[in-house]
Amino acid sequence: MVQLEYVRKFILKDVNLHIPEGMAVGLIGESGAGKTTLLKLVSGLLVPDAGRVSTMGHDPGHYRKRYGRAFSAYFTGIPLLEPQDTVRSGYEGIASVYQMAPSVFVREYSMLTERLGFGEYQNQPVEALSLGQRARVELGAALLYRPRLLVLDEPTVGLDQEAKQALRDLLKERVEQGMTLLISSHDMNEVSHLCGRIALLHKGNLEFYGDQEQLHWQYHSFHTMQMRILGPLPDLGDIPFQQYQIEGDRLTLVYSSNYITSAEILQQIMGQTSITELVIRKADLGQVILRHSKAFLE
Amino acid sequence: MNLKPYIAYARKSFLMRSAYRFDHIMQILSTCLQIFIYWEIYRSLYGSSIEVDGISFGMVTTNFVLSLGFSAGFYVNDFYLPQKIWDGSLVTELLRPISFRGRMLAENIGNGVFSMLFRFLPAFVIGVVLVGICPPESAAALGLFLVSAALGYGVLWTISFAVQMTAFWLVNIWSIVTIKNVCINILSGSMIPIWFMPEWLRNLIDFTPFSSIYFTPVQIYLGQLSGREIAGKCLLQVVWIVCMYGIGSVLWKRGQRKLVIHGG
Repeated sequence: MVQLEYVRKFILKDVNLHIPEGMAVGLIGESGAGKTTLLKLVSGLLVPDAGRVSTMGHDPGHYRKRYGRAFSAYFTGIPLLEPQDTVRSGYEGIASVYQMAPSVFVREYSMLTERLGFGEYQNQPVEALSLGQRARVELGAALLYRPRLLVLDEPTVGLDQEAKQALRDLLKERVEQGMTLLISSHDMNEVSHLCGRIALLHKGNLEFYGDQEQLHWQYHSFHTMQMRILGPLPDLGDIPFQQYQIEGDRLTLVYSSNYITSAEILQQIMGQTSITELVIRKADLGQVILRHSKAFLE
Repeated sequence: MNLKPYIAYARKSFLMRSAYRFDHIMQILSTCLQIFIYWEIYRSLYGSSIEVDGISFGMVTTNFVLSLGFSAGFYVNDFYLPQKIWDGSLVTELLRPISFRGRMLAENIGNGVFSMLFRFLPAFVIGVVLVGICPPESAAALGLFLVSAALGYGVLWTISFAVQMTAFWLVNIWSIVTIKNVCINILSGSMIPIWFMPEWLRNLIDFTPFSSIYFTPVQIYLGQLSGREIAGKCLLQVVWIVCMYGIGSVLWKRGQRKLVIHGG
Protein backbone atom coordinates (compact mmCIF):
# COMPACT_ATOMS: atom_id res chain seq x y z
CA MET A 1 0.00 0.00 0.00
CA VAL A 2 2.84 2.39 0.93
CA GLN A 3 6.51 1.94 0.17
CA LEU A 4 9.48 4.19 0.85
CA GLU A 5 12.91 3.24 -0.48
CA TYR A 6 16.00 5.12 0.66
CA VAL A 7 13.99 8.30 0.96
CA ARG A 8 15.73 11.54 1.83
CA LYS A 9 13.88 14.76 2.46
CA PHE A 10 14.71 17.56 4.89
CA ILE A 11 15.66 15.72 8.09
CA LEU A 12 14.74 12.23 6.81
CA LYS A 13 17.74 10.09 5.93
CA ASP A 14 17.50 6.96 3.79
CA VAL A 15 14.16 5.85 5.17
CA ASN A 16 12.93 2.43 4.08
CA LEU A 17 9.40 1.46 5.00
CA HIS A 18 6.77 -0.89 3.66
CA ILE A 19 3.18 -0.76 4.86
CA PRO A 20 0.98 -3.61 3.66
CA GLU A 21 -2.70 -3.08 2.91
CA GLY A 22 -4.96 -3.18 5.96
CA MET A 23 -2.14 -2.43 8.44
CA ALA A 24 -2.30 0.31 11.08
CA VAL A 25 1.10 1.91 11.57
CA GLY A 26 1.88 4.38 14.34
CA LEU A 27 4.60 6.87 13.60
CA ILE A 28 6.28 7.97 16.79
CA GLY A 29 9.30 10.00 17.76
CA GLU A 30 10.24 13.28 19.35
CA SER A 31 9.18 16.66 17.91
CA GLY A 32 11.19 17.45 14.78
CA ALA A 33 12.02 13.79 14.12
CA GLY A 34 10.50 13.99 10.63
CA LYS A 35 7.05 12.48 11.20
CA THR A 36 5.04 15.14 9.35
CA THR A 37 7.60 15.18 6.52
CA LEU A 38 7.15 11.44 6.10
CA LEU A 39 3.34 11.77 6.08
CA LYS A 40 3.51 14.57 3.51
CA LEU A 41 5.77 12.43 1.32
CA VAL A 42 3.25 9.59 1.45
CA SER A 43 0.46 12.08 0.61
CA GLY A 44 2.37 13.54 -2.34
CA LEU A 45 2.56 16.96 -0.73
CA LEU A 46 6.34 16.73 -0.76
CA VAL A 47 8.64 15.00 -3.24
CA PRO A 48 11.78 13.23 -2.02
CA ASP A 49 15.23 14.66 -2.74
CA ALA A 50 16.43 11.09 -3.20
CA GLY A 51 14.83 7.66 -3.14
CA ARG A 52 11.35 6.60 -4.12
CA VAL A 53 7.91 6.86 -2.56
CA SER A 54 5.05 4.74 -3.77
CA THR A 55 1.50 5.12 -2.50
CA MET A 56 -1.09 2.69 -3.78
CA GLY A 57 1.32 1.69 -6.51
CA HIS A 58 2.00 5.19 -7.81
CA ASP A 59 4.29 8.14 -7.29
CA PRO A 60 2.05 10.25 -5.05
CA GLY A 61 3.66 13.49 -6.25
CA HIS A 62 2.19 12.94 -9.70
CA TYR A 63 -0.89 10.86 -9.03
CA ARG A 64 -2.31 12.19 -5.78
CA LYS A 65 -5.48 13.49 -7.41
CA ARG A 66 -6.15 10.16 -9.10
CA TYR A 67 -6.48 8.33 -5.81
CA GLY A 68 -9.84 10.01 -5.46
CA ARG A 69 -11.95 8.33 -2.83
CA ALA A 70 -9.23 5.84 -1.95
CA PHE A 71 -7.09 8.35 -0.05
CA SER A 72 -7.68 10.78 2.77
CA ALA A 73 -5.36 12.84 4.95
CA TYR A 74 -5.70 15.03 7.99
CA PHE A 75 -2.92 17.32 9.15
CA THR A 76 -3.45 19.20 12.39
CA GLY A 77 -3.96 22.90 11.73
CA ILE A 78 -4.84 22.43 8.07
CA PRO A 79 -8.60 22.81 7.59
CA LEU A 80 -10.58 20.32 5.53
CA LEU A 81 -13.76 22.38 5.81
CA GLU A 82 -14.32 25.98 4.75
CA PRO A 83 -14.54 28.18 7.86
CA GLN A 84 -17.69 29.98 6.73
CA ASP A 85 -19.57 26.75 5.88
CA THR A 86 -21.82 25.11 8.40
CA VAL A 87 -20.66 21.65 9.42
CA ARG A 88 -23.45 20.04 7.42
CA SER A 89 -22.89 22.08 4.24
CA GLY A 90 -19.13 21.48 4.49
CA TYR A 91 -19.74 17.73 4.58
CA GLU A 92 -22.16 18.04 1.66
CA GLY A 93 -19.41 19.81 -0.29
CA ILE A 94 -17.00 16.95 0.39
CA ALA A 95 -19.67 14.42 -0.58
CA SER A 96 -20.11 16.23 -3.88
CA VAL A 97 -16.34 16.36 -4.59
CA TYR A 98 -15.98 12.64 -3.82
CA GLN A 99 -19.17 11.78 -5.70
CA MET A 100 -20.93 10.04 -2.85
CA ALA A 101 -24.42 8.80 -3.56
CA PRO A 102 -26.96 10.80 -1.49
CA SER A 103 -28.14 7.73 0.44
CA VAL A 104 -24.54 6.75 1.28
CA PHE A 105 -23.80 10.30 2.39
CA VAL A 106 -26.84 10.40 4.69
CA ARG A 107 -25.86 7.07 6.24
CA GLU A 108 -22.19 7.98 6.77
CA TYR A 109 -22.94 11.49 7.95
CA SER A 110 -25.51 10.29 10.51
CA MET A 111 -23.08 7.66 11.75
CA LEU A 112 -20.26 10.23 12.15
CA THR A 113 -22.43 12.83 13.89
CA GLU A 114 -23.53 10.17 16.35
CA ARG A 115 -20.13 8.55 16.93
CA LEU A 116 -18.09 11.76 17.10
CA GLY A 117 -20.88 13.67 18.80
CA PHE A 118 -21.15 16.81 16.70
CA GLY A 119 -24.84 16.61 15.83
CA GLU A 120 -25.55 19.38 18.32
CA TYR A 121 -23.60 21.98 16.40
CA GLN A 122 -23.93 20.65 12.85
CA ASN A 123 -25.77 23.78 11.71
CA GLN A 124 -23.19 26.20 13.06
CA PRO A 125 -20.44 27.71 10.88
CA VAL A 126 -17.14 25.88 11.33
CA GLU A 127 -15.40 29.16 12.26
CA ALA A 128 -17.74 29.53 15.26
CA LEU A 129 -16.70 26.20 16.81
CA SER A 130 -14.20 25.72 19.60
CA LEU A 131 -10.85 24.03 18.90
CA GLY A 132 -12.08 20.69 20.21
CA GLN A 133 -15.39 20.84 18.33
CA ARG A 134 -13.56 21.79 15.17
CA ALA A 135 -11.13 18.89 15.55
CA ARG A 136 -14.08 16.49 15.83
CA VAL A 137 -15.76 17.72 12.66
CA GLU A 138 -12.51 17.92 10.69
CA LEU A 139 -11.59 14.34 11.61
CA GLY A 140 -15.07 13.18 10.69
CA ALA A 141 -14.65 14.90 7.32
CA ALA A 142 -11.47 12.89 6.69
CA LEU A 143 -13.40 9.67 7.34
CA LEU A 144 -16.61 10.57 5.51
CA TYR A 145 -16.01 8.81 2.20
CA ARG A 146 -14.37 5.69 3.68
CA PRO A 147 -10.88 5.94 2.19
CA ARG A 148 -8.72 2.83 1.73
CA LEU A 149 -5.67 4.69 3.01
CA LEU A 150 -5.93 7.24 5.79
CA VAL A 151 -3.05 9.45 6.87
CA LEU A 152 -3.48 11.25 10.20
CA ASP A 153 -0.99 13.74 11.61
CA GLU A 154 -1.46 14.35 15.34
CA PRO A 155 -5.24 13.77 15.20
CA THR A 156 -5.87 13.96 18.93
CA VAL A 157 -4.67 17.55 19.40
CA GLY A 158 -7.56 19.47 20.95
CA LEU A 159 -9.76 16.41 21.52
CA ASP A 160 -11.22 15.64 24.93
CA GLN A 161 -11.05 12.11 26.38
CA GLU A 162 -14.53 11.20 25.15
CA ALA A 163 -13.74 12.28 21.59
CA LYS A 164 -10.36 10.51 21.70
CA GLN A 165 -12.07 7.29 22.67
CA ALA A 166 -14.74 7.72 19.98
CA LEU A 167 -12.06 8.35 17.35
CA ARG A 168 -10.01 5.39 18.53
CA ASP A 169 -13.03 3.07 18.30
CA LEU A 170 -13.96 4.38 14.89
CA LEU A 171 -10.43 3.99 13.53
CA LYS A 172 -10.12 0.52 15.00
CA GLU A 173 -13.34 -0.52 13.29
CA ARG A 174 -12.20 0.87 9.96
CA VAL A 175 -8.85 -0.91 10.22
CA GLU A 176 -10.66 -4.16 10.98
CA GLN A 177 -12.71 -3.55 7.84
CA GLY A 178 -9.50 -3.32 5.78
CA MET A 179 -8.49 0.35 5.86
CA THR A 180 -4.76 1.08 5.95
CA LEU A 181 -3.85 3.66 8.58
CA LEU A 182 -0.70 5.71 9.00
CA ILE A 183 -0.93 7.84 12.10
CA SER A 184 1.58 10.07 13.84
CA SER A 185 0.88 10.94 17.42
CA HIS A 186 2.43 11.89 20.71
CA ASP A 187 -0.45 10.10 22.41
CA MET A 188 1.22 6.75 23.02
CA ASN A 189 -1.92 5.31 24.52
CA GLU A 190 -3.67 5.86 21.24
CA VAL A 191 -0.86 4.46 19.14
CA SER A 192 -0.47 1.37 21.33
CA HIS A 193 -4.21 0.65 21.18
CA LEU A 194 -4.61 1.19 17.46
CA CYS A 195 -1.47 0.15 15.69
CA GLY A 196 -0.18 -3.28 14.83
CA ARG A 197 3.15 -1.80 13.86
CA ILE A 198 5.25 1.04 15.17
CA ALA A 199 7.68 3.15 13.18
CA LEU A 200 10.08 5.01 15.45
CA LEU A 201 11.81 8.04 13.99
CA HIS A 202 14.74 9.73 15.66
CA LYS A 203 16.38 12.78 14.08
CA GLY A 204 15.27 11.67 10.63
CA ASN A 205 16.38 8.05 10.96
CA LEU A 206 13.93 5.19 11.09
CA GLU A 207 15.28 3.59 14.25
CA PHE A 208 12.70 0.89 14.49
CA TYR A 209 9.88 -0.61 12.45
CA GLY A 210 7.98 -3.60 13.74
CA ASP A 211 5.38 -4.68 16.25
CA GLN A 212 5.14 -3.43 19.82
CA GLU A 213 6.59 -6.60 21.37
CA GLN A 214 9.72 -6.22 19.30
CA LEU A 215 9.94 -2.55 20.24
CA HIS A 216 9.78 -3.39 23.95
CA TRP A 217 12.32 -6.13 23.56
CA GLN A 218 14.70 -3.91 21.61
CA TYR A 219 14.39 -0.65 23.49
CA HIS A 220 12.82 -1.15 26.84
CA SER A 221 12.60 -4.66 28.18
CA PHE A 222 12.28 -3.51 31.80
CA HIS A 223 9.34 -4.83 33.78
CA THR A 224 8.17 -3.81 37.20
CA MET A 225 6.99 -6.47 39.67
CA GLN A 226 5.23 -5.49 42.90
CA MET A 227 4.26 -7.99 45.57
CA ARG A 228 3.16 -8.22 49.21
CA ILE A 229 5.23 -10.64 51.27
CA LEU A 230 3.69 -12.68 54.05
CA GLY A 231 6.79 -14.51 55.37
CA PRO A 232 10.46 -13.50 55.69
CA LEU A 233 12.14 -11.29 53.12
CA PRO A 234 13.61 -13.44 50.33
CA ASP A 235 17.28 -13.42 49.34
CA LEU A 236 17.46 -11.60 45.98
CA GLY A 237 21.15 -12.28 45.38
CA ASP A 238 20.66 -14.50 42.30
CA ILE A 239 18.13 -12.25 40.56
CA PRO A 240 19.67 -9.90 37.94
CA PHE A 241 17.40 -6.96 38.86
CA GLN A 242 17.93 -3.35 37.84
CA GLN A 243 16.71 -1.99 41.14
CA TYR A 244 14.58 -2.99 44.14
CA GLN A 245 12.65 -1.28 46.90
CA ILE A 246 11.27 -2.60 50.18
CA GLU A 247 8.57 -0.67 52.03
CA GLY A 248 7.24 -2.64 55.02
CA ASP A 249 5.92 -5.89 53.57
CA ARG A 250 5.89 -4.57 50.01
CA LEU A 251 8.65 -5.45 47.55
CA THR A 252 9.15 -3.78 44.18
CA LEU A 253 11.58 -5.16 41.61
CA VAL A 254 12.61 -3.66 38.28
CA TYR A 255 14.24 -6.17 35.93
CA SER A 256 14.99 -6.78 32.28
CA SER A 257 13.00 -9.50 30.57
CA ASN A 258 16.02 -10.02 28.31
CA TYR A 259 17.89 -11.57 31.29
CA ILE A 260 15.23 -13.20 33.40
CA THR A 261 11.55 -13.98 32.99
CA SER A 262 8.83 -13.06 35.48
CA ALA A 263 8.14 -16.76 36.04
CA GLU A 264 11.79 -17.42 37.00
CA ILE A 265 11.75 -14.57 39.54
CA LEU A 266 8.49 -15.79 41.07
CA GLN A 267 9.83 -19.33 41.29
CA GLN A 268 12.91 -18.11 43.21
CA ILE A 269 10.93 -15.89 45.59
CA MET A 270 8.12 -18.35 46.26
CA GLY A 271 10.71 -20.97 47.10
CA GLN A 272 11.75 -18.82 50.05
CA THR A 273 8.59 -17.07 51.19
CA SER A 274 4.86 -16.56 50.56
CA ILE A 275 3.25 -13.68 48.70
CA THR A 276 -0.34 -12.43 48.66
CA GLU A 277 -0.57 -9.70 46.05
CA LEU A 278 1.25 -9.53 42.74
CA VAL A 279 1.30 -6.91 39.97
CA ILE A 280 3.60 -7.11 36.94
CA ARG A 281 3.82 -4.10 34.63
CA LYS A 282 5.47 -3.75 31.25
CA ALA A 283 6.74 -0.30 30.28
CA ASP A 284 4.19 1.54 28.16
CA LEU A 285 5.07 3.00 24.79
CA GLY A 286 5.66 6.44 26.28
CA GLN A 287 8.33 5.08 28.60
CA VAL A 288 9.95 3.26 25.69
CA ILE A 289 10.19 6.50 23.74
CA LEU A 290 11.43 8.42 26.75
CA ARG A 291 14.12 5.88 27.43
CA HIS A 292 15.02 5.71 23.76
CA SER A 293 15.40 9.50 23.53
CA LYS A 294 17.47 9.61 26.73
CA ALA A 295 19.72 6.87 25.43
CA PHE A 296 20.42 8.92 22.32
CA LEU A 297 20.97 12.11 24.28
CA GLU A 298 23.45 10.33 26.52
CA MET B 1 -15.09 15.39 -16.62
CA ASN B 2 -17.65 15.46 -13.86
CA LEU B 3 -19.07 19.00 -13.58
CA LYS B 4 -21.25 18.31 -10.52
CA PRO B 5 -18.71 19.45 -7.89
CA TYR B 6 -18.02 22.65 -9.82
CA ILE B 7 -21.72 23.42 -10.18
CA ALA B 8 -22.10 22.77 -6.45
CA TYR B 9 -19.25 25.21 -5.69
CA ALA B 10 -20.75 27.87 -8.02
CA ARG B 11 -24.16 27.42 -6.38
CA LYS B 12 -22.69 27.58 -2.91
CA SER B 13 -20.77 30.79 -3.59
CA PHE B 14 -23.92 32.32 -5.11
CA LEU B 15 -25.90 31.49 -1.96
CA MET B 16 -23.12 32.65 0.37
CA ARG B 17 -23.10 36.08 -1.23
CA SER B 18 -26.82 36.49 -0.61
CA ALA B 19 -26.10 36.48 3.12
CA TYR B 20 -24.55 39.96 3.03
CA ARG B 21 -27.56 42.10 2.02
CA PHE B 22 -26.42 45.34 3.63
CA ASP B 23 -23.11 45.17 1.75
CA HIS B 24 -24.97 44.79 -1.57
CA ILE B 25 -27.21 47.75 -0.91
CA MET B 26 -24.14 49.85 -0.04
CA GLN B 27 -22.34 48.66 -3.18
CA ILE B 28 -25.32 49.59 -5.36
CA LEU B 29 -25.49 52.97 -3.65
CA SER B 30 -21.74 53.49 -4.14
CA THR B 31 -21.98 52.68 -7.86
CA CYS B 32 -24.94 55.03 -8.29
CA LEU B 33 -23.03 57.79 -6.50
CA GLN B 34 -20.01 57.30 -8.75
CA ILE B 35 -22.22 57.42 -11.83
CA PHE B 36 -23.87 60.60 -10.61
CA ILE B 37 -20.52 62.29 -9.73
CA TYR B 38 -18.97 61.37 -13.10
CA TRP B 39 -22.12 62.56 -14.86
CA GLU B 40 -21.92 65.93 -13.09
CA ILE B 41 -18.17 66.29 -13.88
CA TYR B 42 -18.61 65.51 -17.58
CA ARG B 43 -21.76 67.65 -17.78
CA SER B 44 -19.70 70.60 -16.52
CA LEU B 45 -16.82 69.79 -18.87
CA TYR B 46 -19.11 69.51 -21.87
CA GLY B 47 -20.98 72.70 -20.96
CA SER B 48 -23.01 73.68 -23.98
CA SER B 49 -20.90 71.60 -26.42
CA ILE B 50 -22.72 68.77 -28.17
CA GLU B 51 -19.56 66.83 -29.00
CA VAL B 52 -15.90 66.80 -27.92
CA ASP B 53 -13.50 65.12 -30.38
CA GLY B 54 -16.52 63.53 -32.06
CA ILE B 55 -17.72 62.01 -28.78
CA SER B 56 -21.14 63.08 -27.57
CA PHE B 57 -22.06 63.53 -23.91
CA GLY B 58 -24.53 60.64 -24.30
CA MET B 59 -21.71 58.32 -25.41
CA VAL B 60 -19.60 59.34 -22.40
CA THR B 61 -22.53 58.76 -20.06
CA THR B 62 -23.20 55.36 -21.64
CA ASN B 63 -19.50 54.47 -21.20
CA PHE B 64 -19.38 55.09 -17.50
CA VAL B 65 -22.84 53.69 -16.69
CA LEU B 66 -21.88 50.44 -18.42
CA SER B 67 -18.26 50.38 -17.20
CA LEU B 68 -19.06 51.22 -13.60
CA GLY B 69 -22.02 48.83 -13.67
CA PHE B 70 -19.75 46.07 -14.93
CA SER B 71 -17.06 46.89 -12.40
CA ALA B 72 -19.70 46.33 -9.71
CA GLY B 73 -20.95 43.16 -11.39
CA PHE B 74 -17.70 41.56 -12.57
CA TYR B 75 -16.71 39.88 -9.33
CA VAL B 76 -13.18 38.61 -8.81
CA ASN B 77 -11.69 37.59 -5.48
CA ASP B 78 -8.02 38.54 -5.79
CA PHE B 79 -7.23 36.88 -2.47
CA TYR B 80 -8.81 33.48 -3.11
CA LEU B 81 -5.51 31.64 -3.57
CA PRO B 82 -3.43 33.78 -1.14
CA GLN B 83 -6.00 33.07 1.59
CA LYS B 84 -5.64 29.34 1.01
CA ILE B 85 -1.86 29.66 1.17
CA TRP B 86 -2.10 31.67 4.41
CA ASP B 87 -4.44 29.28 6.22
CA GLY B 88 -2.80 26.16 4.79
CA SER B 89 -5.99 24.84 3.17
CA LEU B 90 -4.27 24.78 -0.23
CA VAL B 91 -2.86 21.43 0.93
CA THR B 92 -6.43 20.12 1.23
CA GLU B 93 -7.21 21.43 -2.25
CA LEU B 94 -4.17 19.70 -3.73
CA LEU B 95 -5.34 16.36 -2.37
CA ARG B 96 -8.87 16.61 -3.74
CA PRO B 97 -9.72 14.77 -6.96
CA ILE B 98 -10.89 17.93 -8.72
CA SER B 99 -9.13 20.81 -10.47
CA PHE B 100 -8.36 23.66 -8.11
CA ARG B 101 -8.33 26.11 -11.03
CA GLY B 102 -11.74 24.79 -12.04
CA ARG B 103 -12.98 25.35 -8.52
CA MET B 104 -11.60 28.90 -8.51
CA LEU B 105 -13.44 29.65 -11.73
CA ALA B 106 -16.67 27.96 -10.58
CA GLU B 107 -16.77 29.97 -7.36
CA ASN B 108 -16.06 33.17 -9.26
CA ILE B 109 -18.83 32.41 -11.73
CA GLY B 110 -21.26 31.82 -8.83
CA ASN B 111 -20.22 35.13 -7.30
CA GLY B 112 -20.23 36.83 -10.70
CA VAL B 113 -23.78 35.72 -11.55
CA PHE B 114 -24.92 37.00 -8.16
CA SER B 115 -23.15 40.32 -8.69
CA MET B 116 -24.57 40.74 -12.18
CA LEU B 117 -28.11 40.09 -10.97
CA PHE B 118 -28.03 41.95 -7.69
CA ARG B 119 -25.36 44.60 -8.21
CA PHE B 120 -25.01 45.36 -11.91
CA LEU B 121 -28.69 45.25 -12.83
CA PRO B 122 -29.99 47.51 -10.01
CA ALA B 123 -27.08 49.95 -10.49
CA PHE B 124 -27.64 49.90 -14.26
CA VAL B 125 -31.39 50.56 -13.98
CA ILE B 126 -30.87 53.35 -11.45
CA GLY B 127 -28.10 54.81 -13.65
CA VAL B 128 -30.32 54.73 -16.73
CA VAL B 129 -33.19 56.41 -14.85
CA LEU B 130 -30.88 58.93 -13.18
CA VAL B 131 -28.67 60.08 -16.08
CA GLY B 132 -29.94 58.19 -19.15
CA ILE B 133 -27.80 56.32 -21.69
CA CYS B 134 -27.77 55.84 -25.44
CA PRO B 135 -29.75 52.85 -26.73
CA PRO B 136 -27.72 50.06 -28.38
CA GLU B 137 -26.89 50.67 -32.02
CA SER B 138 -28.88 47.61 -33.10
CA ALA B 139 -30.20 44.29 -31.79
CA ALA B 140 -27.10 42.63 -33.26
CA ALA B 141 -24.88 45.17 -31.48
CA LEU B 142 -26.66 44.33 -28.23
CA GLY B 143 -26.07 40.59 -28.75
CA LEU B 144 -22.41 41.07 -29.64
CA PHE B 145 -22.06 43.47 -26.71
CA LEU B 146 -23.22 40.70 -24.35
CA VAL B 147 -20.76 38.23 -25.89
CA SER B 148 -17.93 40.76 -25.62
CA ALA B 149 -18.93 41.59 -22.03
CA ALA B 150 -18.66 37.90 -21.11
CA LEU B 151 -15.21 37.81 -22.74
CA GLY B 152 -14.35 41.01 -20.85
CA TYR B 153 -15.12 39.22 -17.62
CA GLY B 154 -12.88 36.39 -18.80
CA VAL B 155 -10.01 38.86 -19.31
CA LEU B 156 -10.57 40.41 -15.88
CA TRP B 157 -10.68 36.99 -14.18
CA THR B 158 -7.59 35.64 -15.93
CA ILE B 159 -5.59 38.78 -15.00
CA SER B 160 -6.60 38.21 -11.38
CA PHE B 161 -5.79 34.50 -11.74
CA ALA B 162 -2.25 35.26 -12.95
CA VAL B 163 -1.69 37.91 -10.27
CA GLN B 164 -2.88 35.57 -7.50
CA MET B 165 -0.33 32.95 -8.50
CA THR B 166 2.50 35.28 -7.47
CA ALA B 167 1.40 34.59 -3.86
CA PHE B 168 3.40 31.33 -3.99
CA TRP B 169 6.56 33.45 -3.89
CA LEU B 170 5.45 36.80 -2.45
CA VAL B 171 2.92 35.51 0.12
CA ASN B 172 1.46 39.01 0.62
CA ILE B 173 0.27 40.31 -2.74
CA TRP B 174 -1.79 43.24 -1.49
CA SER B 175 0.43 45.84 -3.21
CA ILE B 176 0.43 43.98 -6.53
CA VAL B 177 -3.34 43.66 -6.41
CA THR B 178 -3.59 47.41 -5.71
CA ILE B 179 -1.36 48.23 -8.70
CA LYS B 180 -3.42 45.87 -10.87
CA ASN B 181 -6.66 47.52 -9.76
CA VAL B 182 -5.29 51.02 -10.40
CA CYS B 183 -4.24 49.93 -13.91
CA ILE B 184 -7.69 48.46 -14.53
CA ASN B 185 -9.50 51.53 -13.23
CA ILE B 186 -7.45 53.94 -15.31
CA LEU B 187 -6.53 51.98 -18.43
CA SER B 188 -9.84 50.17 -18.93
CA GLY B 189 -11.64 53.43 -19.61
CA SER B 190 -14.08 53.15 -16.75
CA MET B 191 -12.90 56.37 -15.05
CA ILE B 192 -11.63 58.32 -18.04
CA PRO B 193 -12.97 57.21 -21.43
CA ILE B 194 -10.12 55.98 -23.63
CA TRP B 195 -11.38 58.33 -26.40
CA PHE B 196 -10.05 61.31 -24.43
CA MET B 197 -6.61 59.93 -23.74
CA PRO B 198 -3.58 61.16 -25.72
CA GLU B 199 -2.83 59.17 -28.83
CA TRP B 200 0.46 57.74 -27.49
CA LEU B 201 -1.39 56.42 -24.41
CA ARG B 202 -4.19 54.98 -26.54
CA ASN B 203 -1.56 53.18 -28.62
CA LEU B 204 0.07 51.90 -25.44
CA ILE B 205 -3.25 50.70 -24.00
CA ASP B 206 -3.81 48.71 -27.19
CA PHE B 207 -0.89 46.52 -26.11
CA THR B 208 -2.44 45.80 -22.73
CA PRO B 209 -5.44 43.61 -21.84
CA PHE B 210 -7.17 46.41 -19.90
CA SER B 211 -9.20 47.99 -22.69
CA SER B 212 -10.60 44.53 -23.51
CA ILE B 213 -12.40 44.41 -20.17
CA TYR B 214 -14.96 47.22 -20.38
CA PHE B 215 -14.13 49.46 -23.31
CA THR B 216 -14.47 46.88 -26.12
CA PRO B 217 -18.05 45.91 -25.10
CA VAL B 218 -18.97 49.61 -24.77
CA GLN B 219 -17.63 50.37 -28.26
CA ILE B 220 -19.66 47.46 -29.68
CA TYR B 221 -22.79 48.63 -27.82
CA LEU B 222 -22.40 52.15 -29.24
CA GLY B 223 -21.84 50.80 -32.77
CA GLN B 224 -18.41 52.37 -33.03
CA LEU B 225 -16.83 49.29 -34.59
CA SER B 226 -17.38 47.72 -37.98
CA GLY B 227 -18.11 43.99 -38.28
CA ARG B 228 -14.46 43.30 -39.06
CA GLU B 229 -13.28 45.40 -36.11
CA ILE B 230 -15.70 43.63 -33.78
CA ALA B 231 -14.32 40.25 -34.86
CA GLY B 232 -10.77 41.56 -34.36
CA LYS B 233 -11.48 43.00 -30.91
CA CYS B 234 -13.32 39.88 -29.73
CA LEU B 235 -10.46 37.76 -31.03
CA LEU B 236 -8.07 39.98 -29.10
CA GLN B 237 -10.15 39.38 -25.95
CA VAL B 238 -9.85 35.63 -26.50
CA VAL B 239 -6.09 36.01 -27.07
CA TRP B 240 -5.75 37.90 -23.78
CA ILE B 241 -7.76 35.26 -21.94
CA VAL B 242 -5.55 32.51 -23.36
CA CYS B 243 -2.34 34.48 -22.61
CA MET B 244 -3.23 35.42 -19.05
CA TYR B 245 -4.57 31.95 -18.28
CA GLY B 246 -1.41 30.46 -19.79
CA ILE B 247 0.82 32.68 -17.64
CA GLY B 248 -1.28 31.89 -14.56
CA SER B 249 -1.13 28.15 -15.30
CA VAL B 250 2.65 28.17 -15.70
CA LEU B 251 2.94 30.01 -12.38
CA TRP B 252 0.46 27.57 -10.80
CA LYS B 253 2.56 24.58 -11.89
CA ARG B 254 5.77 26.22 -10.69
CA GLY B 255 4.13 27.27 -7.44
CA GLN B 256 2.98 23.70 -6.78
CA ARG B 257 6.47 22.48 -7.60
CA LYS B 258 7.89 24.96 -5.10
CA LEU B 259 5.47 23.65 -2.48
CA VAL B 260 6.33 19.99 -2.95
CA ILE B 261 10.08 20.64 -3.07
CA HIS B 262 10.49 23.25 -0.35
CA GLY B 263 7.36 22.56 1.68
CA GLY B 264 4.96 25.29 2.63
